[in-house]
This record gives sequence, C-alpha cells and structure tokens, in this order.
Amino acid sequence: MKKQGIKKGLTAIMVGLLITTSLSACSSNNTTNSSSNNSEGSTNVAVNIDPLGKFPEPLEVSIGRSLDTNYKFNGTDTAEDNAYTRWLKEEYNIVVKHAWEASVTDYDQKVSLAISSNDLPDAMRVNETQLKQMIKADQLEDLTEVYKNVGAPRLKDIYESNPGLLENVTVDNKLYAFPETTLPSAPLTWIRKDWLDKLGLEAPKSLEDLEKIAKAFIDNKMGGKNTVGIVGTGQGGALYSTFLTSSDHYMNFSSLFFANGAYPGIWVKDKDGKAVYGSTLPETKQTLAMMREWYTKGILDKEVGLRKSGQEIAVSGEAGIFFGPWWTPYNLQDAIKNDPEANWRPYVAPLNAAGEFTSNQATGSNFIVVKKGYEHPEAVVKMLNVHVSEKIASYEGATKGKEMTGQEIPLFIIAGAGDQLDYTVNTLRDYLDGKIKLEDIDKVNYGFTNDLALHVKDIKIAPFDNYDIQHWDQVKDPGFFAHVYAHLNGGSTFVDADVKYLRSLATSKTKTMDARWTNLKKMEDETFLKIILGSSPLEDFDTFVQKWMEQGGDTITKEVNELQ
Amino acid sequence: MRIRGITKHYYLMLLPGLIWLFFFNLLPMHGILMAFKEFNPGMGIWKSPWVGLENFRYMFELDDSIQVFKNTIFIAVLKMIGNLIVPLLFALMLNEVKNRYFSRTVQTIVYLPHFLSWVIVAGIMIDIFSYTGPINQVLSVFGMDPVLFFANAKIFPSLIVGSDIWKEFGFAAIIFFAALTSINPEMYEAAAIDGASQFKRLMRITLPSILPVAILLGTLSLGNILNAGFDQIFNLYNPAVYSTGDVIDTWVYRAGLIDMQYGLATAVGLLKSVVGLVLISTSYGLAYRFANYRIF
Repeated sequence: MKKQGIKKGLTAIMVGLLITTSLSACSSNNTTNSSSNNSEGSTNVAVNIDPLGKFPEPLEVSIGRSLDTNYKFNGTDTAEDNAYTRWLKEEYNIVVKHAWEASVTDYDQKVSLAISSNDLPDAMRVNETQLKQMIKADQLEDLTEVYKNVGAPRLKDIYESNPGLLENVTVDNKLYAFPETTLPSAPLTWIRKDWLDKLGLEAPKSLEDLEKIAKAFIDNKMGGKNTVGIVGTGQGGALYSTFLTSSDHYMNFSSLFFANGAYPGIWVKDKDGKAVYGSTLPETKQTLAMMREWYTKGILDKEVGLRKSGQEIAVSGEAGIFFGPWWTPYNLQDAIKNDPEANWRPYVAPLNAAGEFTSNQATGSNFIVVKKGYEHPEAVVKMLNVHVSEKIASYEGATKGKEMTGQEIPLFIIAGAGDQLDYTVNTLRDYLDGKIKLEDIDKVNYGFTNDLALHVKDIKIAPFDNYDIQHWDQVKDPGFFAHVYAHLNGGSTFVDADVKYLRSLATSKTKTMDARWTNLKKMEDETFLKIILGSSPLEDFDTFVQKWMEQGGDTITKEVNELQ
Repeated sequence: MRIRGITKHYYLMLLPGLIWLFFFNLLPMHGILMAFKEFNPGMGIWKSPWVGLENFRYMFELDDSIQVFKNTIFIAVLKMIGNLIVPLLFALMLNEVKNRYFSRTVQTIVYLPHFLSWVIVAGIMIDIFSYTGPINQVLSVFGMDPVLFFANAKIFPSLIVGSDIWKEFGFAAIIFFAALTSINPEMYEAAAIDGASQFKRLMRITLPSILPVAILLGTLSLGNILNAGFDQIFNLYNPAVYSTGDVIDTWVYRAGLIDMQYGLATAVGLLKSVVGLVLISTSYGLAYRFANYRIF
C-alpha cells in the first residue's frame, strides 16, 4: 500500500516534468504563431482613438524596467506603483506591470537576454544595437498605423522638429520604434573650481593647461594624500564611446582624443574621402602616447580601467578633474553632500591645436519598442502622448509638486523639440535676469522649461550669472534642485560652446562585423589599455593596426565604404 | 536491482537533486542546437536556419579561441590542484592541534569566506591590491615600487587561483575533517605501542585512510575543469589582463550577450562541455583503475 503511494507520487512528478518540458519546447512556436494572428487584428482596433482620452477598459502593459537603486521615491512609492503610474491608471486606464526589473548597470544585459530568449515584455527601452537585432529577428510590432491614428499632435510635432529620427527606425515602410530625441552632447571638462581658486590657477584651454592643473592638484594634495589626477574609465568601461554605444562620453577619455584630432571608435573620412576606422589612425596613436606619458607622470589616474567606479573617486573628493556631458551635475549631488564646498564647474576644454572644441556626435540612442503581437500598441503610444503633452489638471494633485523622473515614469525617454536644451537654458537665464515673465514661456511646446522656471528662483540665488556652488540654495526645493543645477551649471556652458561635430559614417554593424567584431574589439581594448598602463610598448599600436586589418578589418572597411 | 524497503527513503532524498538537474542542466540542452544554426531569436531555436559546422570552423580560425582555451585550462588545473592540496594539508595540520576549542574556532573562521559572493570578495580584493592599498603600502616599507597587481597579466592568474583557494579551502577542509574523525583511534594506539613516530603515523595511517576521500574530491572537481570560475574572473578582470585572464565563460559572455553572436558563443560553450565530458570520463576511469574507486 505504502509502496504504491510512493510510486504514484513519483509518476505524478514525472508526468508533471514531461508536461513542462513539452510546453517549454513548444512555447517558442506558439508565440510566433499567435503573434502573427494578433498583429493583423490589432491595427484595425487602433483606428480613431482619442490620443489623450481614457480607455474604456483598463489596459495592461508589461514592461522591462531599469531601476536606480539610489533613487529616493516619495513615501512607500516604488517604480511600479507610484504617483505617476497611479495617475496613469486613474486618468487613462493604463495599468503598468513590470515583467522584470534590472539595475541601471545590468539593464542592457537583461534586455539582451530577453531578446535572445524571445521572452519579451509588451514594451521596453532598448539601445540601437538591440533595436537592429530585434528588427532583424522580426520581434517588433509595426507601429506605423497606430502612430498615425493614436499619436498626439504634440508627439508628432516633436518628431517633426527632429528630422531623420523616425526615418532611422523605419525599415521597409514599417515604423519599429519611438526614438529618444538625442540632445546634442559633447564632453566638457569638469574641474573643482574651489581647488583652482585656492591655487590661483586659470581655467584650462589646451591639453597642456589640463596637465598643469592636474599636476598642481596632485602636488598640493588637494584631495588628500592620495589625490588622483584625471579620473575616468573604470573597470569594464570603455576609454571612449564608439559608434555602437551611446554613453554620451560620461567619465571616459574621449576629450583627450578629440583635442588631438583623433576619433577612435567611429568611422571617419580619410583625406581621399574614404571611410576608415578612427582607432587605427596615427592621431589615435599619438593620443595613446600622450596618455601613456601622463600615466607615467601620475597625471592620469593610476588605476585607469581597474576601479570599480571612477565616479566614486570624484564623489569622495579624491579627484578634481574628469570629463562628462552637460548633465553631469545630476550625478554630482552626493559629491556636494559630502563636501558642500565642492564647486564642480564645466569648461569648454581641451581645445585642439587650431583652438577648436571638437567632439564626435553621439549616434546611438534609446528607443521604445513594442513586442510583435502585443494586442494594445495604442496603450504604449498613449503613454508617450501623456508623457510629452501638457498635463491635465489632476496631475499636479497626484504628484504633489514633485518633478517626476525616469524612475517614476514608465517607458521614459527624453522627447522634446530638437532645440529643447537651448530653449530651456536661455529661457531660465532670461527669466532670472527679469528679461521675460513666466507667461512668456512657450508652455505648450516646452512644458518642462515652464516647470523649471516655476522653481528656479527658489534654487538659484543671486548673482544669477554666477553658477558657483555658494550661489545655490540646496535645501529649499530638493525636488527640482538637480534639474535646475544641471541645466544652468552644465547646460549653460554647453549651449554657449561652439562645438565642431564629427559624425560616424557607420552607425550599426555591417555583415562581417556581426561575426568579427568581438575579436577586433577585444584586441583594441586590450592593446590600448596596455599601452596606456605602460605594460606594452607603444609600437604595439602598429601591430594592432596590422592584425586588425588582417582579421577582418579590411573587409569591414570595404563594407562601410559601400554604405556611402 | 531490487530496492529494499529500508533504503527507499534514500532514493527519495535524491529527488530534489534530480529535479534540479533536470530543469537546469538537461532541459536547457536543446539550446546547443544553436551552435549549428544562425540563431534568430524571433524565429526561435527550431526555425533558425542551419549553418552546419560554420560556427566551429570560424571558432578555430580565431586567434582568441586558442588563447582562451589555454587560459581556461591553466587556471582551472591550478585551482584544482590548489583546492585539493591546501585543504588537505590544512586539515592534517589542524588535526594535530589537540586543543579542541582552538581548532573549532579556527575551522569556523576559515570556512566563512565560502559564503561571501564573488562580487563582495572581488571588491575587497581590488581595494587590498590597489595602488594605494595595504599590500602596496607594505611593499613600500621595503623600498619597492608599488605594483598594479590587477593590470599585470603575469600576476593575474595567481591572484585568481590564490583568492579562490583562500575563499574555499576552509569549506573544502570540512570533508577532510569528517574523514579524519572516522579513522579508528585504535590504529593510532597500536602504532604508538609499536613505536611509530608521529610522522610515521601520519604517513601510514592518516593519509591512506583519507586517500579515497581525496580521490573522490579530485575526480569530482575534474568535471568542473573548464569552469575556471565566471563570477570570480568577471568581477576581477579588465582588458589589460585579457591575455591570461580571459576564459571561455567570460569570452562567451561578451560574444553572446554583449555582441549578440549567439551561434558562435554557443559553439564555444558546447566545445567546452564536450572537452569536460571527455575529461571527467577519463578521470573516472583512472580513479577506478588505480584507486579502485567507483561511484556506482
């Protein structure tokens, strides 16, 4: 009797196992079948829906979400259940569910996993490489119709003011994604101005100035006994952003290359107008030689490429120089908390030999995509409509005056008119100077600017044209401090800068790159870091170029040239 | 084989292990088909087009592959030897300590690192070996220049192997302690009466008694020979040490998840498994033949 019981139990388990196996084996087939059926149906449903109206029934959207573990939500709010998502449900009947969550650093990896296993949430944010992969794998819903029918006029205005954006994500007349409106960006040099002042030093212009300042900081132990010179790339990070990454040059060494006329990691034109890979050019070698020398002298962080995080060193007050885009102050709040004197200011430096400030143009970006077969793509479009449009009256009450960020807003992308940053910075400056009034602000097209202007006078204290840290009120309006501080302290310098941009000739992988790039990239990363650290001779650069060409670089260069 | 009533519950205890094995090791195995396909996630594994041995052909063409295989085997063999000998010596030495309170305390302390994740241990390691860290401070006392340990490809494997042994030896020693307590004390008494020195007793009684356990552990670890430890290396490495530190798993991670070259990454991973299978079969055969040791 007893024996039989066990036997029965075992059989049950085995049967259970078999069922699950067969289910998981078929699941990929099932999804593809059902998806093709659904996608035909869904486009018809989408016709004639009020872009900013409430759905009659609650619609669920499952998304993948990146979480900033340091972010402080209001009260018991979470990324999934917060003032914004509750408001979204209340006013529009859109219910946001998290299929999964990943930390900011793990997010890309989690997305890649989801793509490779074809286990996708209804919608999520992906990068350019992932977008291309998903289009190739036919995993994305065609959004052409639903954008046409449900897209709010405001959303369409934004894309019209950013020509080329939608064309880039349209393949065979099918719209596959909603791209972020890339704000122009270039790496500025961020320096502790309080240290500069203490030492009586001038703001930097050239590479030599930069070297001199770093040396002075170290010699005078401005950050304590172990003062680090120029801090940058940490462990696993890249020395510069490439045509496949969209890092905005935060905390890397692109600036040093640009000032030497080198553009590693992107495809540029040589003097005959042919495409060449910037990492293989003599200017790159020259910059590596310089960085190697700086490293020996201690100007560059001794632990370049090894630190868990370069930002940590800047925040803890051990370093006083690094490179980053205009929005860098968003990441410096802890630095100010640690040391209220820490006066991080951006400089348009280093300039190249001709006195120009150059940068490559960020090519990659973020994209919102919808899984093929998701029944309600209109819900995703509506979320974007709501995100970019002027908020209805109930919004103020729901958010209680807190500025919502990408942590509260699901499927957050930066979507604004192409000149959004310029407009915001100039408007804030004019408003502080009393040149314009609140009513003069174009509230319809630049809603965020209006929000910032409402709060700016609580945060920025006189004199209004001096952005040093002592002229800010950090406590009065903490919900808006970072926004205003970043726009005025970083944004104003960037808006005024005259940047010469160079854009990569290729912006995604070619056929041979699909197979060879892992190998070539490894060779590049290894050679360059070792040259800087001094563990390989500078001549290894030439060996690298030769090997790079032999192991597929030649073919790839040909392919990129064919793109032109 | 008839299962006798009295042993039935032992087989039941196998069940959780079998279920785990099934879900996490057997079920994902259909994924190895990807090695022979140009995998397209949208079509799934079954519908993606076949490419035959193309992925393998390309893999052998890459300079990386040989280097990565070499690194993996080098690090794994060193780890295997170290993780067998160090715990064994440690257990033997501690066994000679007669103060039970002391030896218990030591045991408890040394097995604690086993429970730390590599993320934490790697963070501590990087701090300790950093340019201004304690190790370099000690070196500077002796007038030596600071060394960037984690950027030095020659030192890197030793750091990997050393830290792995440091983390695991206390835990591995537990099995040896158990084996040591099972030795019949009468044997020692008899030997002592016959006038055997302490060293003789160690060589003639203790070592032979725990040899089967050592062989068992050695054989089991062979199955893991190509697992040079993804967690650990991933948390410690950087491009400067690719030449000696990049192992199959880290390479597959970069190719597969970062660059999305699924087919190639799977092919490399599959080859790793095949080599692993051959190794464990061989070692099992050897253990059976020379130590008369068998599991089944």
